[in-house]
Amino acid sequence: MDLAYTPAQQAFRAEVRAWLKEHLPSQPLVTLECREGYDQHVEWERTLAGGNWGMVTWPEAYGGRGLDLIEWLIFEEEYWASGAPLRANQNGIFLLGPTIMEFGTDEQKALFLTPMARGEVIWAQAWSEPGAGSDMAAISSKAVRDGDHYVLTGQKTWSSRAAFADWGFGIFRTDLESERHKGLTFILFDLDSPGITRRPIRQLHGETGFAELFFDEVRVPVANRLAGEGEGWNVAMATAGFERGLMLRSPGRFQATAKRLVELYRQNAHRASPAAREAVAQAWGAAQAYAYNTYAVAAKIMAGGKIGAEASLNKIFWSELDRAMHRTGMQLLGAHAELKRFADGSQNDWLEGYMFSLSGPIYAGSNEVQRNITAERLLGLPRVGAG
Amino acid sequence: MDFRFTEDQLTLAEGVRDYLEGTHGPEVLRRLDEQGARDPAIWQGLVEMGLPGLMVPEEQGGLGLGLVEAAMIAVECGRACLAEPLVDVAFVMAPWLAAKGETGSLAAIVAGEERPLPVHAINPWVADGEGEALRSVDPLRQLAVVPAKVSDDPHLLDLGALMSAAQLVGLADAMLVQATEYAKVRTQFGQPIGAFQAIKHQLASCAVAIEFAKPVLWRAAKALNDGVESAPVHVSHTKLAATDAAFLTAETAIQVHGAMGYTYEVDLHFWMKRTWALGGAWGDRAFHVARIDRAVIGDADREPTLAIGPDHTFA
Repeated sequence: MDLAYTPAQQAFRAEVRAWLKEHLPSQPLVTLECREGYDQHVEWERTLAGGNWGMVTWPEAYGGRGLDLIEWLIFEEEYWASGAPLRANQNGIFLLGPTIMEFGTDEQKALFLTPMARGEVIWAQAWSEPGAGSDMAAISSKAVRDGDHYVLTGQKTWSSRAAFADWGFGIFRTDLESERHKGLTFILFDLDSPGITRRPIRQLHGETGFAELFFDEVRVPVANRLAGEGEGWNVAMATAGFERGLMLRSPGRFQATAKRLVELYRQNAHRASPAAREAVAQAWGAAQAYAYNTYAVAAKIMAGGKIGAEASLNKIFWSELDRAMHRTGMQLLGAHAELKRFADGSQNDWLEGYMFSLSGPIYAGSNEVQRNITAERLLGLPRVGAG
Repeated sequence: MDFRFTEDQLTLAEGVRDYLEGTHGPEVLRRLDEQGARDPAIWQGLVEMGLPGLMVPEEQGGLGLGLVEAAMIAVECGRACLAEPLVDVAFVMAPWLAAKGETGSLAAIVAGEERPLPVHAINPWVADGEGEALRSVDPLRQLAVVPAKVSDDPHLLDLGALMSAAQLVGLADAMLVQATEYAKVRTQFGQPIGAFQAIKHQLASCAVAIEFAKPVLWRAAKALNDGVESAPVHVSHTKLAATDAAFLTAETAIQVHGAMGYTYEVDLHFWMKRTWALGGAWGDRAFHVARIDRAVIGDADREPTLAIGPDHTFA
């Protein structure tokens, strides 16, 4: 156990810090979940790519830097410490990218990864359907083979980024006789394909980040299939593993929130309850615990290990931590918590963050599903229900 | 930067776990409960494993290992609900004496002949001593009010708090296993109760709390071992996280056992009672929250002392 950074790692940290300081947008960007903000965020993705920071762990051949997971964590720490914008392409770089790296052909890697790392193609995910939410194996959207194409028909919903993104990925039923987890296939599609209709969905905060997607005989080349026909469930589970496990929510995000919470507390200490004070101290501790755990998981993966059902523990922990921190922030703001903007014109990030934090225990597999997975796969308790 | 154990560390901990599993099961706790809490044969077994000398420098005949290894073994002592005062003698007193340069008794500690016990001002009594006797809810703790000289050395306190946290993590692990195994075999409404989500989700929440208490323990052990300036904050952090995880797991475990959990007959109560005892020992909740609070939040007239934020993970 060695908890010190090497001189090379320290130098890398300094390099990231210096680059971010020089290139960060001078003004906070408009929210990612409207057209104007989306465009600003995509522009930021391209600025990052210009410095070769799109996805530092990827091979140089695909627009990365070939760095290891510790360096990725250092990058993320500096990224969140700097207050840099949210990543418009997180569905791509953190979820689909690693999946293509594991299951894609050389042609697919060449075709999809570099534009992803360079922010040229922004990806949306398309998992859920009106009848397949927590029960994702109930998917009914179809992909019917026709020569060297699949013809997609059906409906996806809660599709993150789909209001504005370029491409999407999801699983479709290719074997129409199949049930549940079998007969599903992982397919990548251009969101501007003829036959796709996007219906943006207005979210809790009033903006439109996700969308419904309607597929009406959409023709997609077979070459856009990831892994084999009928292997979609396993590929999707691997993607969900990346999402819940390591990449989607790096600890820096929560450490940054905990730090802001301490600052908020200090400004409001004169009227804060003792319980709020302890909640602030706990927030620091929990964010640190998540960071230590992530370093431990990264070391395990670097030594050839895998992340399995433990990913569910992570997802439960960070999503409930994020909600608790923002709840404390709302309490510290008192009557001001309801304001969209404060008297000085600045946005109430605690309110925005609190609303967003309420989605954390729902997306990427609800925490109820995660607790089932934890109980069944880690503790060995009997399975629930069918499937 | 490598947040992993070495093969040697894992082998050592596994060896102790296997040994305690084989020699110190619930039937031993019941025998000790009936026959007087201590058994020289158990202590002798630990001595033969070399455990009292784990942290004693090699010059005094010990293994010269550090606080990370000791914390790993202390977790195993918690898991086994070990009654003998190994942790206090070997992982609290021995490193404290060695750090002070008081090496006189170390060889005798290695040999198992001396069992010096920590007497610190933060604790109103010693956990395994001779003096005016007090009765703990934990039938295997032998509390005594010791009239002897009391230390207020903060380093001794940190060692004691760290090792309490380690035992609490092991206790929590053990209670989660007991509750999970019970949920697999107890049937109601025609199925194992562990198939009900009402049970599953509670146990999963314990698994989350334990999973995220562990790296905090290792981080604190490493910091204290290396003499990092902020180590006391990390010790307080692990004491709180481990106590919270263990209390949650204890309460969940008894709930999962139902009325059986409320009996003396089911083993769970030994682990629960040790949890309650260690939760308040070596600094209670208020003490450790205050230490974190001062370092992380500070006050209007006093800046915090610990650098925090994403770029200070290992500050």
